[in-house]
Amino acid sequence: MVKVKVVERPPADLVVQSWLPELWKGMKVSGRHFFVNLLTQKGIVTSQYPEVKRAYPPRFRGKHRLMRREDGSVRCVACFMCSTACPADCISIVAGQRDDENEKFPVTFEVDFIKCVFCGMCEEACPCDAIRLDSGVHRAPAYTRKEELNGKEDLLSLGSLSVARQGGEFK
Amino acid sequence: MPTLTIDGREITVEPGTRIIEAADRLGIDIPRFCYHPGLPVAGNCRMCLVDTNRSPKPVASCWDPCQDGHVVVTNSPRVLEARRAVLEYILLNHPVDCPICDQAGECDLQDLYFAHDHQPSRHPFHKHHKDKARVLGPQIIYDAERCINCTRCIRVCEEVAKAPQLVQVQRGERAYIDVFPGTQLDHPYSMCTADVCPVGALTTRDFRFKCRAWLTHGIQTVCGECSRGCGIRADVYRNAVQRLVPRHNPDVNQYWACDAGRLAYHRFETGRVSAVRIGGAAADYAKGVRDVAEALPGADARGVVVVLTPWMTCEDVGAVVAAVRSAAPGATFAVGGAAPGIQDDILVRADKNPNRNGVAKVLADLGVTPVALDAVLSQAPSLGALIVCGAEQAKAEALAGALAAVPLSIVLAALEGPLTAAARFVFPTTSPYEADGTWVNESGVTQRVRRAVEPVGDAKGFEVWASDLADRLGTPLAARDRAIGGNP
Repeated sequence: MVKVKVVERPPADLVVQSWLPELWKGMKVSGRHFFVNLLTQKGIVTSQYPEVKRAYPPRFRGKHRLMRREDGSVRCVACFMCSTACPADCISIVAGQRDDENEKFPVTFEVDFIKCVFCGMCEEACPCDAIRLDSGVHRAPAYTRKEELNGKEDLLSLGSLSVARQGGEFK
Repeated sequence: MPTLTIDGREITVEPGTRIIEAADRLGIDIPRFCYHPGLPVAGNCRMCLVDTNRSPKPVASCWDPCQDGHVVVTNSPRVLEARRAVLEYILLNHPVDCPICDQAGECDLQDLYFAHDHQPSRHPFHKHHKDKARVLGPQIIYDAERCINCTRCIRVCEEVAKAPQLVQVQRGERAYIDVFPGTQLDHPYSMCTADVCPVGALTTRDFRFKCRAWLTHGIQTVCGECSRGCGIRADVYRNAVQRLVPRHNPDVNQYWACDAGRLAYHRFETGRVSAVRIGGAAADYAKGVRDVAEALPGADARGVVVVLTPWMTCEDVGAVVAAVRSAAPGATFAVGGAAPGIQDDILVRADKNPNRNGVAKVLADLGVTPVALDAVLSQAPSLGALIVCGAEQAKAEALAGALAAVPLSIVLAALEGPLTAAARFVFPTTSPYEADGTWVNESGVTQRVRRAVEPVGDAKGFEVWASDLADRLGTPLAARDRAIGGNP
């Protein structure tokens, strides 16, 4: 049950209508905050954006990033699980062949941020811990559609090392 | 005629029928790897085990012939346990690299694992590693780790292609498929080995890593590369044909198709005519049709000749004949077509045109007696108009010369070439994967060609062009001439 405090409307008597005492009361409150903030800087709730940026919460889903293996190569094996799971159909992959045991890799890996809804399905579908949305980078608006199309290099530049076990077999 | 009971359902079959065939006829699914209805029986995978009243232990249903009074149970606990054990054994050294395997999504091993085994590997040691991505031939790449040694591919080479190029080497868990030293898998049906492969061991170089199987949708259509007209399925993703695979048609091609036919769609990926051209300059489709409709009746006095191609569907031929006749009642028709090529005694036919029979049939029905193409070429300079349908013309150079000589030259083609360079009016038409209609193959089997992908640019079927022309002439085609395949 919500407590409701009913405040009687003060009568608009001559004191109020002359506005000078009320103005004085208001200036007293503003002046107190002004000098307290100026001298002690205690209890300020605003931050000095853009010099000081607030951290996103840990589960924030930002721009995608592609993770790397220990040898620096991309972890993605171009299995298309992410683009299959994607409800917005925003991921386009062209797969290629490499000569080591990982065999398959993405030649191109494009995320169209115009289409992306940042649902995180791709991250969940990925069997290789290759795609993540934990970059903490907010998707910035762009002037052209082409700029919204982020390729493999863009996504890798946000990426870092992941040593999660790939596949399922122990080596 | 033995009568047997499978899972409580009775069936009478011809003597010699295997249990698995009888079960297939009843619609009872018995899992299998090595058995293929188009191949001789090998009986080596042991996945199709069933219980019968004639043997103390489960028997392989692909090998055991039906007997009178046989009582077969395909799903008893003992059979299910036997299958689970077989599957676990097959999966012992399997790399389980489904994310990078092209077969994932259409893999028998994957499906049956989820249906029968569904447990983590109990194999405590390191898996046995074998060759990956081994090139067996120009079309086929082999992954020895994924192979379950069902030998379907070997049997395809021996029995279907009559080219025994594959062999199984080593034994037990070390067994793998290989070509003989110094040779390669290069017979004209080599891609059928990848079709029959129940796992991802044999993959075609054409489809390898191109697209995942589950992303495609299959359109059942017909191959146009020769007059055999093999049933094929065009797998399409994002409005592009990703691969062609044979589709079972007992009257035409059984389960098979040749490599050339399956790679033919690449011809239509580049060099397409995509816009109407008048005198070499791009033009609006409606303007092109209007100009032709205005010019064609005047050309009738000197003679109008239409060179048809046996790549057109029956509906196309009917519509083009009707439309041109309404403009130029005296028009004559000739049938061109692609040059004959190689033939073998398996599927490939020498006539490289899919619908020669159908075109002849439609022309006969319409009372048209086609004139010889050479006669057309010789009288070309005196003609009023020459309309050439299709880029697949054996005498393309001669036809181009004839087109250059006539006052009104029209080409309807899907591919650029000497014809489109020589003609005044060029109309883009659909590729066989964009067309819709009917083809009649060399043995008279009438088959439906279906549109798999949307046409490029302004490309339209011959039939659509013809009915637009007829509309413009003020003599709309009857509904039956429009038939199917109208532009959406």
